[in-house]
Order: sequence, then structure tokens, then C-alpha cells
Amino acid sequence: MSKLPTASERFIQGILPENPVYRQLLGLCPTLAVTNGLKPALTMAMAVGMVLLCANVIISLIRGLLKPHLRIVAFTLTIATFVTIVDRALSAYMYPMSKTLGPYIPLIIVNCIIICRCEVCASRQGPLAAAGDALGQSLGFGLALASIAMVRELLGTGMLLGIPILPDVWPPWVIMVLPPGAFLTFGLLLAGVNWIRAWRSNQPQRGN
Amino acid sequence: MAETIPNSVGVSRGGFQKSFLAQAWLVLLLAVSFGSALAFVQNSLSDVIAANKLNETLTQVPELVWGADTPQYTADTSHPIQITPGTVSIKKVQKTAYYPVFRVSRGDIISGWVVKARGQGYADNIEVLIGADPHVETITGLFILEQKETPGLGNKITFPTWREQFAGKNTDTPFVVVKEKSTTKNSIDAVTGATISSRSVAGIVNQTVKDVKGRLTPQTVLSGEGP
Amino acid sequence: MAYLFDIFLIALGAALINNFVFYYFVGICPFIGVSRQVDMAVGMGSAVTFVMIIAVFISWTITSLVLVQGAPVSSWVAGFFMAKEQAAKIDLTILSYIVYIFSISSSVQFVEMYMRKFYPPLYKSFGVFLPLITTNCAILFACLTVMSKIVGVENPAEAWDLGRALALGIFGGVGFTIAIVIMAGIREELDLCDIPAPFKGAAITLIVGGILSMAFMGFVGVDSGIRTALM
Repeated sequence: MSKLPTASERFIQGILPENPVYRQLLGLCPTLAVTNGLKPALTMAMAVGMVLLCANVIISLIRGLLKPHLRIVAFTLTIATFVTIVDRALSAYMYPMSKTLGPYIPLIIVNCIIICRCEVCASRQGPLAAAGDALGQSLGFGLALASIAMVRELLGTGMLLGIPILPDVWPPWVIMVLPPGAFLTFGLLLAGVNWIRAWRSNQPQRGN
Repeated sequence: MAETIPNSVGVSRGGFQKSFLAQAWLVLLLAVSFGSALAFVQNSLSDVIAANKLNETLTQVPELVWGADTPQYTADTSHPIQITPGTVSIKKVQKTAYYPVFRVSRGDIISGWVVKARGQGYADNIEVLIGADPHVETITGLFILEQKETPGLGNKITFPTWREQFAGKNTDTPFVVVKEKSTTKNSIDAVTGATISSRSVAGIVNQTVKDVKGRLTPQTVLSGEGP
Repeated sequence: MAYLFDIFLIALGAALINNFVFYYFVGICPFIGVSRQVDMAVGMGSAVTFVMIIAVFISWTITSLVLVQGAPVSSWVAGFFMAKEQAAKIDLTILSYIVYIFSISSSVQFVEMYMRKFYPPLYKSFGVFLPLITTNCAILFACLTVMSKIVGVENPAEAWDLGRALALGIFGGVGFTIAIVIMAGIREELDLCDIPAPFKGAAITLIVGGILSMAFMGFVGVDSGIRTALM
């Protein structure tokens, strides 16, 4: 088997080259649901990051003891526990945001990103690599969510983080903060990312 | 997906009983340790969360009763404000109407009531807090706790400029929502482009007044209080 | 009569007005991944509906009987160890998410075994997608919705009974099936079109999904209108 990536390689990979949303198309449910504002998007990214980090580290610490056919059970148990803890912590210390995010925090349990990273990285490498992987993927996830949220909130309400940015004369495109806006924004941004990647791979080789 | 997750059904049937502990000891250990961690979290955080839920309502209550005069009452320490929660249940033909209420008093003199009511809005349920005087003869304030109306249109019912139309109005006649400038006594201007949302809120207020007027008086004893 | 009316509104809401895919954004992964052909989509939708019904049944039962504060089974068991008043205060809802995800896994296993026994060709054609239903947000979302209507409800009389929960489960699955079948039909046509390279695959699916979501927005307010008209 080829050499497994190191912690820093995992970290860098997760941000753009193996971005969980734009490249792997995982975790699309929160991507569409919570991006109608920048603040919920960043809170969700932070929550996913914490769960991913804790789950990755724990799984990689016990990776030698996992029986192959019970490992999914172990993953699920670990992820569900950390999601419960993060959900309670949010309700206790960020109550209004917890209400805005609603059922999408517990849906982190079935977020494909976390199970995928546990399977691909944490069950095979040590805690340091697993942590690097978790941080990289969460950063990538946060960037993806923020990119969509900025477009939706700015065009949909003229504000960012509740601060008015666009002048009053500009009419808000309310559709952007409604469900169709989520699909369209993400679809167009995804097409944009694909186009940029195709353009860069067509560029004359510059020693990439 | 980058990798597929294989089917997890694979526990061998033969010798299942014998090797159950050998196979599952790790999962059981994880279950026990996670269970304890969760119990710890539950113990430390459940009170904080319950307080958050209650404070969401309680912070609105003084302003619903006294409106703009609230600061002078909250600053008056010689007559501390007491907010007593309770419930009102009214049996009707098909179901029981249930209203959480709060009695607001200063010293021991009642200043007003705040009733939490909910009803069907345009898109989903709307939950409101209605402030009223001790005899529920005047509405003193309105606050929208929860709504899922259309952003930019229906959710303008949360704006103070729309809600304050209700303040100071008498409850002897029901509220009516009109599209043009209101002229009659208890008419409310609808939010432009969101008549249904506006009508829903007025309907909730009307229904609540109809249900609790007469049951909420300065003499009402809330359940759980002494004689 | 009012009960049936309530069930009807819950069903209509779950299937069309608050469609799981187009309004709540759950079940997006299979929506984009599996919606290539109509017959695959119908199979996937039925499997998800079947799993959803079983999962909602299990989660409603466990939530109402064991997890909620003052639930019959937990307070009876706790009554052996502590005073009756304390036993009634036992609140196990912190375990809800773990219980739900494992009930979903079990439902998927059950459906898998059933399908392998009675519909082998269908089972083969599903391949790896059947175990992946465990990570389908829509099923966990249905369980969470049922939980929110039981736990933390102020008026105990308004807590959902099994009938309402099953109505949500059945028609949420039906709504998901409607969404995924419409998408599959459109994608079968899209295969014959000349799509620009950056849009091929997920991007065009999302944009079509956005237009469909706009169409489904036409249903908003239908249930409140029916409710007002008939009450």
C-alpha cells in the first residue's frame, strides 16, 4: 500500500484539493440548509469541526482494537455522542443560534463527511494525522459554507452578519434566502469551481 | 463518495454466543464511557438550557406590560417586580385550549398579564406573547416569539412599528385587519403584501382574548400558589 | 373527524408543502446521486419510505415510553431504586440521538434482510446504496421532527400520538419519492441535451432542483388555507 499522507499533508488536502463540499460532494444537507446567513453557516462549520476533531482523534486512538464488522457501530456511537454534547453546549451557551440551526445540528450525525473521514483516515492513521485531517476538512467545509452564505445573505438581505452592506436603494433578492436560492447558488458556484479547475488544468504546465 | 461504506452485517452465526463478549467488549466499553460522559453533560447543562428557554420569554415580559415606561419600573427597587408563571386551560368542544400565562406584579399589586398563544400563520405556526392589563380590557403589548413567514414580507409582523398598533387598544371589539389606512376603532393596518400573516396574528389575539377574558382577573390564583 | 383532518394536514404538509427535499434540504445526497433513472429512483424512494416508517415507529415508541421525562417505563424501573417523585423526574432525552441512529441502522438491516430474501434481483440492483440509507438525512430528520413534537411540548395533550408520527413517516417518504422521481425523469431527458462542461453532473442537477423547489413553493400556505376554510 502506498505511503499514507502525513498530518500536514492531510490538513492542506482538506482545504481545497479534497474540499468536502465542492470536490467530494459530501455533507450537502447543511450546506443548503444553514447558508441563508453567514453567522449560522460559520456556527455550523464550527460545530462540525469540533465533532470531526473529537471523533477522528478518539477513533484513531482505538483503531487497533476495532473489529472490522463492528467498526461502523463504533463510529456511529462515537459521532452520535459528540454531536449530542455539541448540541447541548450550543443550547446552553448560544441559545438563539441553536434555535436558528434547529434540527440541522443533530443531522451532523449522518453527515457523510465525518463517517467518511473516520473510515478513510482515522481508522488507519495515528491521532496526529487524524487531527490534521479533521482540521483541514473542517476548514474546507467552513470555506465552502461561507462562500455560499456570503452570496445568499448579501444578495438576499443586503447584509452580512446583520450589518447592512448594500445601499438601501438595492432591493433584496428574497429568493436567495429561500430554498430555491440555496440550490441555485450552490449549483452556480459548483459550476464555477469546475470551470476554474478545468481552466487551470488546461493552462501550460507551470510546475504544478 | 470517495469510498463506499461496506455492509456492516457480517457477524458470524456460528459460535455467536461464545464470542459475543470477545467481539463486542470494545463497543460495550465505549457505550459505558460515552454514557457516563453524557450523564455528566446532562447534569451540568440541563439547568442552563431550561433557564435559557424561560429567559427567552421572561426578558420580554416587563416591556409587554409597561411598554416605554419599563425602565422606571425596573429601576424602582422599593417595589421589586415579580413574574409568576401559570397556565390556563379551557375545555372546548373538540379540544382543550392551553395558555401559559405570567402574572406581573410590583410589591404585591398586580400590574398586568402576559399570555403566550400560538396559532396557524401563513406558512407555519406563529407563537406570540400578548401583554394585557389586570382585567384583560386593554392590550398593552405584542411580541412575536416564533414565526416562519416569508422573509421580507410576512416576517415584517415582527417589526415593532407593526406590532405597536395593538398597544393601547381596547379588547371589547375584535381586531380587524384592513389593507388601507385604518379608520374604525379596532382596525389594524396589514403588512403590505402579507395580509394573511397579519390576519393570522390578529386572529390569534382575538381568540386568546375571547378565551382568557373573565378568567384572568386581579383575584385569579395561579395553580401552584398558596391560598 | 378532527383527528383525521389533522392527519390529512400533516400528510399533505410532509409530502408536498414542506417537502423533505425541496423545503428542508434533507435527503440531498441520494437525490443527486441516485436520480439518474426513473426505476432506480422509484426503488430508492420506496426503500427510504419503508425504512422511514419502521424507524419512526421505533423512535416514537422509545421516546414516548422510555426517554421523555416521566415516561412510563423509565419511571417504573427507576421506582425500584428511588422515591416515586424522583423517579417521575428521570429525563433520558440526552440519549435520543444515539437511540434514533441505532434504530435507523436496525431498520435498514431489517429491510436489507427482507429484500435479500424476497426480492433478490432488486437487492442486487441496489448494491451499496441500501446500507447507505442509514446516512440518509431524511430518516433521521423524520425521527427528530417526531421527537420535537413529544419532548418539550408545553401542553402534554398536544404531544403527538403514534398515528400522527406514522403519518409523518409515511408521507415524508412519499414526498421524498415524488421529489426523486421527478428529478430522475428530468435527468433522463437531460442526458440527451448538450450541457456545458462545468455544469455536467451535480451542478446542473442542483440548478434543476432549484427550479423544482421554486415550483414547490407554490404549495406554501395551502394547509393554513384549508385549515381556515374548514374550521
